[in-house]
Amino acid sequence: MIVALWAAFVAPAHATDITLWHAWRGEERTVLESVTDDYQKAHPGDHIELTFVPYEGLKSKIEAAVPRGNGPDLFIYAHENLDDWVATGVVRPVGQVDSDRSQVDLAHRSTIPRVFGDPANRALTVLRDGHSVIYGWPLATKCLALFYNKALVAHPPENTDDLVYLADTLRDDPVHPTRWGFAWDATSAYEDAAWMHGFGGGVFAQDGRTIALDTPENRAAFGFIQQLAGLGPAETSGSLITQLFNEGKVAMVLNGPWFLGEITPKEQGGPDFGVTMLPLVSDAGLPAAPYMTVDALFLAGGPAPEAAAKEALARDFAAYLQSEDVVVRRIREGHQLAVIPPDGGPSDHIVIITTEGPVDGGITAPTAALYSDPVLRGFINPNALPMPTTPAFAQTWEPLARALRRLVRGAATPEQAAAEAQTTWEVVSRPEAPTVDGTPFAALLALGLLAGGLVATQRMYSAKAWKHWREYLWIAPGGLAVVLLVVAPFLVGASVSLFEVAGSASDGSWRFVGLSHFTDILLDRDFPLTNASTRALSFWYTLVVTLVWTLCNVVLHVTLGVFLAMMLREPWVKLRSVFRALLILPWAVPNYITALAWKGMFHQQFGAINALLGLVGVAPVSWFASWTTAFAANVATNTWLGFPFMMVVTLGALQSVPREVEEAAEMDGATGWQKFRLVTLPLLQPALLPAVILGSVWTFNMFNVIYLVSGGEPDGSTDILVSQAYKWAFTRGHHYGYGAAYAVIIFGVMIVQSRVLNRLAGRKVV
Amino acid sequence: MATLSFRGVQKSYVSGTGARRGSGEGVTHVLHRVDLEVGDGEFIALVGPSGCGKSTLLRCVAGLEEISAGDLHIGPRRVNDIAPKDRDVAMVFQSYALYPHLSVKENMAFALRLQRHPETESRVAEAAEMLGLTPLLARLPKELSGGQRQRVAMGRAIVRRPSVFLFDEPLSNLDAALRQQMRVELRRRHQLLRTTTLYVTHDQVEALTLADRIVVLNAGVVQQVGTPDELYFDPANRFVAGFIGSPTMNFVEHVPGCVRGEVVGVRPNDVEVGSGEIVATVEFVERLGFEAMVHLRVGEETLMARVEGEAPSPGAKVGVRFSRSYRFEKATGARVREPA
Repeated sequence: MIVALWAAFVAPAHATDITLWHAWRGEERTVLESVTDDYQKAHPGDHIELTFVPYEGLKSKIEAAVPRGNGPDLFIYAHENLDDWVATGVVRPVGQVDSDRSQVDLAHRSTIPRVFGDPANRALTVLRDGHSVIYGWPLATKCLALFYNKALVAHPPENTDDLVYLADTLRDDPVHPTRWGFAWDATSAYEDAAWMHGFGGGVFAQDGRTIALDTPENRAAFGFIQQLAGLGPAETSGSLITQLFNEGKVAMVLNGPWFLGEITPKEQGGPDFGVTMLPLVSDAGLPAAPYMTVDALFLAGGPAPEAAAKEALARDFAAYLQSEDVVVRRIREGHQLAVIPPDGGPSDHIVIITTEGPVDGGITAPTAALYSDPVLRGFINPNALPMPTTPAFAQTWEPLARALRRLVRGAATPEQAAAEAQTTWEVVSRPEAPTVDGTPFAALLALGLLAGGLVATQRMYSAKAWKHWREYLWIAPGGLAVVLLVVAPFLVGASVSLFEVAGSASDGSWRFVGLSHFTDILLDRDFPLTNASTRALSFWYTLVVTLVWTLCNVVLHVTLGVFLAMMLREPWVKLRSVFRALLILPWAVPNYITALAWKGMFHQQFGAINALLGLVGVAPVSWFASWTTAFAANVATNTWLGFPFMMVVTLGALQSVPREVEEAAEMDGATGWQKFRLVTLPLLQPALLPAVILGSVWTFNMFNVIYLVSGGEPDGSTDILVSQAYKWAFTRGHHYGYGAAYAVIIFGVMIVQSRVLNRLAGRKVV
Repeated sequence: MATLSFRGVQKSYVSGTGARRGSGEGVTHVLHRVDLEVGDGEFIALVGPSGCGKSTLLRCVAGLEEISAGDLHIGPRRVNDIAPKDRDVAMVFQSYALYPHLSVKENMAFALRLQRHPETESRVAEAAEMLGLTPLLARLPKELSGGQRQRVAMGRAIVRRPSVFLFDEPLSNLDAALRQQMRVELRRRHQLLRTTTLYVTHDQVEALTLADRIVVLNAGVVQQVGTPDELYFDPANRFVAGFIGSPTMNFVEHVPGCVRGEVVGVRPNDVEVGSGEIVATVEFVERLGFEAMVHLRVGEETLMARVEGEAPSPGAKVGVRFSRSYRFEKATGARVREPA
């Protein structure tokens, strides 16, 4: 494999050899390989090397290889990372448009699509130095569409009034429904964007750049979302929607092309379904416009191209992939939503959406004819908006999702939700910390290193450590591994906390900001505890939640673990080895699987726990709607995961508790409980204390359970420090510095915690 | 203070699992119908080879093992179904089973503290004084020597003033000198306290020197109950005769006076070397200072004699006679008594 990778990286440098990396699979891949063969037959001197790279690895491989000159000449990927790639030079422009977006740079005219009103092309256009620069050639698109079960819906709704009517009347019971008319992931900002656009709203203000979430249009959309969500199943998620649709329990769902693979085939009892465009929003008269992602062919950046011939070949091949014949083959054989080329293709085709709205919404007959597969045709949506790729946009996901969760849960009115989304965005896209002169820090660091080095040298000298250089040689490989794998990443992470990644400019540069992240976090500058709506973002609030979380868990783990271990020792318990194996099982299952299973069990309508509670007459609990129940759900999950470890440790420690000592206590008149408390437990303590310390460290940083079970719900109030750090770094825009500062503080807290516990462990217990 | 009475006490385990359970094969009898009456204040030693059930019998009295059949009374109470803590018996374990996390004082006071006994302090002080533990009261068990630990275990039993003391090989983990010293102390202590005592040992010297009466057990069956003298001079069967007495009794068949189907037992002390109708060859001699053990060969059989002073040299042919001998049935081992 290494050889293969090596070969891929150092492709032969023949002038007319180019490489193309892609992650297309199945029919898409077959067609790509077939048309490439045809191209090479027509161009005998040229060679195009296609390399399939699994989707999960493609992005990171490209980002690692291209800037070092080891990457391909061309690659196919979704456009969602474009801003980053432009900033870091992973891609090169393929053309330029002047500011009114009507004319193409003439030099590249032959190979660039000319219709820039086409959303697929707009997706690949980035504003650089006052010019609209085009990066990549669009090949195929993906966007949401309406899936409907033909057995339940004869005619899909044309507007939202129809949709609401169907969602209401297709339910089998208005109070306790088991079948619904319409379901979508109502708390997903990606899906709800379609409705927001349909109401004339969206993430951006009219200028297309300023974030404006609290607008009348968005409020109207939120009202509609709240109403529509109330008619569907509770706590919807992707897997739940798939299941309901396959079982015929929901008539219509909102989903993307990826959903096609999840629908049970008709022959296996799956639904007979159709796909169509999202309906028109009745109130605004605009189509509900989903986001569109574009699979594009990108020209790799990196070090300057060594030969113009290569680039010429790349451009020629790109034009070939966009030529009519190939497009038709990609549609018919590859079942792609291929982007129809402007010239050479059917000239009378589609679209045109402008910032003023769609100019012409229809698909003309020839285009429709091209898409002979009705399912594929259903995904054609001329109204779809290319998904923005700017950092400012990326920071709206979490505030919107948070507001939508509150909205759908009924905890906020549409007006409140819109206002909260805007405020949270403002808080989350926190102002950048001011640049600080790094000189004093550098001087301090240099001094520290010097002093440390001196002390180390002196110590080594006085301890005559150099006498043992052979012994040190033996541990050198291990020491080196620790330095590389532990110390170095830690130091890098810690130093990141002193920097701010430059925000919306996204040129990838870092600014030194000193300790300002730390002071911001520790002083709760941006979200004081007194402000109830943003309190959950406060460091101190999160710290208290984390400590309570750790304490509850460790107490439950130890209690349950010790209790079960004691039970397993009782002679009257039959099949002890079977029980022991069963009880260790929760530990053997990967914790994210367990967490997801528990998340499902806590579902309000379909969860096992509410079903069991229902048997004893308890009304369904919405577990993630209040802090107490959401926290309890997290604790229950983690207790399930954590008690086996304590049980195993206790079982082991019990082996070393002499039976006779316990018998002596029995003879001395101790009751069962006294015997346990005064004799067994003190004897278990030496083994249990280290386990408790370990357990509390694991629990303190138990990211998986928090992230997967409650996800911080409600409103981030059950987040712990480590999930908070994650959110700052990855879901609230790229506040890497701020997130890293959180991580450093967590490290500090952990040190204090383990010192305290160590002291407890060291104390002589009488 | 109490009497102890065993009436047909049995202990059996169901061993094996699954298919064999309940088939009868899996049932192991550890104690067979033990009948024994122990008087108030009596010191009873339980002896027998390893695995004979003596420790099990002791644990049955303690309540740590359930009795499968029969009745056990402590004083007037039938205690079969009474929990250990309510039996008012104290036990000294072979391993001492001290609470490792508690000091000597806390170990000794443990039982009384559980009862919130008003005299806890004074009783512990008294017992510590008696056992010479006063300077060690603050120490943890791991900071004590073997003998000291043994005394703490004793102290823990003494402070409770139980009606019955149970000892499970309490001296076996001590070295020879200490064991002898502790033996004397135990005897003295018993004379002082006069608590009914059951004492398990595999060391017959301990049993002979300490006990008022000895119970010899073999394979869960009581072989004989009697005073040390009775067991030594009047053993009920070949097992007891062979087990009690050191060096052990000789068993021979091919000697004059031995009837077919019987075995003659004679203690080395009762073998007179020098003159006699049995002709033996001296194989070798073990010198033990004042006395010597002479190993003799008579035909196919061997014989050991204890002689004082001068001993014959190896290879010499000597005459031998028995000053006292016992007869046992060869098949059952039962004693054949001379008709009175």
